[in-house]
Amino acid sequence: MKVFIVPPNSLILFDLVERYGHEPLSLMGAIHERIMNPEIESPPMNVTPEDVKKGLKYAGIEVPSGIRGRLAVWGPLVDQADAAIIMEEAPFEFGCVGCHRTDEMVRYYIKKRKIPFIVVRYPTNEEEAKVMVAKIKEFLEGLK
Amino acid sequence: MAKDLETRMIVISPSSPVTPDQVTRLVHSLGMEITIKETCYGAMIEGSKENVRKALVAIRKLDPDRIFTKVRGFPIGDTRRCRAHHGSRPGFTQLEKEWECLKLVDKGVSASERGEQICEVPRPSKLPVKRLKEIVDEVSK
Repeated sequence: MKVFIVPPNSLILFDLVERYGHEPLSLMGAIHERIMNPEIESPPMNVTPEDVKKGLKYAGIEVPSGIRGRLAVWGPLVDQADAAIIMEEAPFEFGCVGCHRTDEMVRYYIKKRKIPFIVVRYPTNEEEAKVMVAKIKEFLEGLK
Repeated sequence: MAKDLETRMIVISPSSPVTPDQVTRLVHSLGMEITIKETCYGAMIEGSKENVRKALVAIRKLDPDRIFTKVRGFPIGDTRRCRAHHGSRPGFTQLEKEWECLKLVDKGVSASERGEQICEVPRPSKLPVKRLKEIVDEVSK
């Protein structure tokens, strides 16, 4: 099953999803597709004006273009997802630094889609890490 | 070929005895059509999806619980990202943070593989404002 991860560029979540037999939907994968797509004349470092328009599906016109641009990349991933894993209480350097509002809107969109999801806490010690991995494993093994 | 191309980051946990050099040598010894770049955190490999997956299976065998991997958006040596071409490296803070955290996560993976029973430990709650005021009063006396 396809599992969306939040933050979408997380190595830990990506690895754990793959390790326990599912397909992670990540930001890196979406960016890779854009870069490798020969139809895009100049592969973007960020997003194209077209992406910002696509973002209108996920956020209103009054929402800043930066959020819409990010959602244009993340939104289709949530659309494809069969499940999601969200990591919370992480330090500020963890995840896509720059836009907390996008994070909030993605979380809202995951809940709105009513797909199964799990919220785990960023581990600060060994015991918490064990709990996090055990929860993720149990969640992923339960997805059939 | 380009669409089939996959770039992967191999990140070795700080607690692992495996070195990036060992990973690089292993991939070379496989004799596959794979580009590999040794890095401070592990390695980056690039090739067809099939070859990359086969190489990953072999790499993971070095230390299954302490070698982590994820795909990378940009190819190896891409001028927009490669430091040799003064490219930006916006994902570095994330990678650094996660690399530090891997020494905890690998314990979790090992415990999970052993089937260890784990019970959740609640985090200490935040200091209530009332108690903070009491402390301030005590100190300012």
